[in-house]
Amino acid sequence: MKTYLGIDVGSVSTNIIALNEASEVLSSKYIRTNGQPMECIKNAMKEIARDLQNLEVAGVGTTGSGRQLAGIITGADIIKNEITAHATAAIHFYPDTRTIFEIGGQDSKIILIKNGMIVDFAMNTVCAAGTGSFLDHQAERLKVPIEQFGELALTSTKDTRIAGRCTVFAESDMIAKQQFGFSKGDIIKGLCEALVRNYINNLGRGKTLTPPYLFQGGVAANVGIIAAFKKELRHEIIIPRYYNVMGAIGAALLAKDYLEKNGYQTRFSGFEITDVNFVPKTFDCNGCPNACEVIEVTREDTVIARWGDKCGKWTNEISYSPPGYLTEAACS
Amino acid sequence: MTAARIGLPTALMHSYYRSFWKPFFEELGLEVIETGPTTKAILNKGIRYSVPEICAPMKIYTGHVLELLDQGVDWIYIPRFVSIRKGDVFCPKFLGLPDMLKHTIPDLTSKMVTHHLNVKHENIACMKEYLEIGKLFTSNYRKIKNAVQTGRKKWLEFRKYCVLERYNCQTANGKVFTGKPALQSDLPIKIGVIGYVYNVYDDILGMDIISRLYKLGANTVTFEMLEQGEIDRQLRGYKKRLFWAFSNKLLASAHQFFRDATIDGIIHVTAFGCGPDSFLGKILEINFSQSPKPFMTVRVDEHTGESHLQTRVEAFIDMIAKSKNFKE
Repeated sequence: MKTYLGIDVGSVSTNIIALNEASEVLSSKYIRTNGQPMECIKNAMKEIARDLQNLEVAGVGTTGSGRQLAGIITGADIIKNEITAHATAAIHFYPDTRTIFEIGGQDSKIILIKNGMIVDFAMNTVCAAGTGSFLDHQAERLKVPIEQFGELALTSTKDTRIAGRCTVFAESDMIAKQQFGFSKGDIIKGLCEALVRNYINNLGRGKTLTPPYLFQGGVAANVGIIAAFKKELRHEIIIPRYYNVMGAIGAALLAKDYLEKNGYQTRFSGFEITDVNFVPKTFDCNGCPNACEVIEVTREDTVIARWGDKCGKWTNEISYSPPGYLTEAACS
Repeated sequence: MTAARIGLPTALMHSYYRSFWKPFFEELGLEVIETGPTTKAILNKGIRYSVPEICAPMKIYTGHVLELLDQGVDWIYIPRFVSIRKGDVFCPKFLGLPDMLKHTIPDLTSKMVTHHLNVKHENIACMKEYLEIGKLFTSNYRKIKNAVQTGRKKWLEFRKYCVLERYNCQTANGKVFTGKPALQSDLPIKIGVIGYVYNVYDDILGMDIISRLYKLGANTVTFEMLEQGEIDRQLRGYKKRLFWAFSNKLLASAHQFFRDATIDGIIHVTAFGCGPDSFLGKILEINFSQSPKPFMTVRVDEHTGESHLQTRVEAFIDMIAKSKNFKE
């Protein structure tokens, strides 16, 4: 059976999905990265291979902050940024969508769509307030498992105002509210609302947000946040069925489209890679005062890829060049 | 006798006026030392010596000055940019730059060559401003006049390449000094990049945004390609201009880029914490929110993570390429 794999390596989770030729999802894996992207990719690939019998991989696409690494070890056909990947998946399932909210582990985006095409987008800048990591951190502080975080917010009927602009201020606000006797549910509800308010104010500034709204990314599992979105927008929002692996689906769709359009064969390295020892390593080049951090990936003691240097001294040294940015413009 | 060595920090306005300053000082008989592109080491030096709140371009300039001191130059030229057009001034950080540096780097005082640059035209090469500087190194009036004229000619050549042949600041300097023509090919996409020369062309701050775009299949246009007359024409509709000389140039170029049908999208590159850009950014937001042309702001700072920039730029180009394909 012909299958297309999509791999999204993010800061918090690594997701792999398999699509069939009709672009239907056959299998999806959502695994916490825990700082070990390499192991995560391998494990998830193993699981996919176990789930689906007589798998014939016809194409691979990678996305997320670890897209380069994932692309190199799997032999990806396309390596795409996460904004394009998320939008591609969203448009695939909901062609009429106009606004996509995506909140992941360490970044968040708003993507505006018109006639099935991206017309504008915004992505959070230096601050991680208002992302999944922020919620994780606060859940830990309140000793509430993150899975129950959202439900707890729904138990509250009070309005609790918490400053959402900055994690540090939100925290001091929360401590104050606890001391005033607000319940955990009240505080979490206030926190969800603060996060959504901050998100829409920051990323949506100067943009017209038109329904239908789509909400995807790991944080879309949180019913408290969903409720806060509805309250803030005064409108229904759609949570796609595969909300937490949309980036991976987008990557697979892009790979499929790219290969079909150009009539290329996949460069997929095969499932054997799950047993191969890949070691990523970083070293500081001391060739000039730039001291670039060069990333090097070895496969069984052979260097298969290097990147990260400004001058190209290390990148050019090896024959295998990762499917790079140059090809990306050509395929869109 | 070996020539005295004068250092030009390769930061802030350097790339815009390099073609004047370098030949000017050389004609005066000095050896000109330039620090070259910003490196991480230069940036780190600058950060160590600067107040934390100041913007990254100023920290980078400080780093270049320290680098020149380490190289043991005899003089360092640090002009005080006050105005290059009647009514326009520079950001207060430029106005106070020589003083700020003198007080952060005590060793600098005896080596600093500075003066007020307060002229009516962006062509700063005039005797009124540079006679005093020239007198520091020679008592021969004709020699100074000759140096100013040589520099002026080079600078005008630089501007000619920018305006008439659409070179950007970096490639125009390359053309003036080495004769190397710019890499020019007709790519499918054209992007207007709005940003100060010290952000866009700085190796660390700008993260090669121009060549990144080029690799993604996009040609770029920048404000340097507009002449002053065109800038003033674009701003005629404003009752009041901005205070800052180069902010006005950027605002005018934005108007031009939004009007120009051959430009597919516009990227504003701004340094974190830039005061003038907080006005400029807001004005762009208000004036062009109704425009169908894609617009994006990229905020750069002293951190060196390039993945955020790459993701945004890639997505921006993807978006434009897709809608162009659709239209065709």
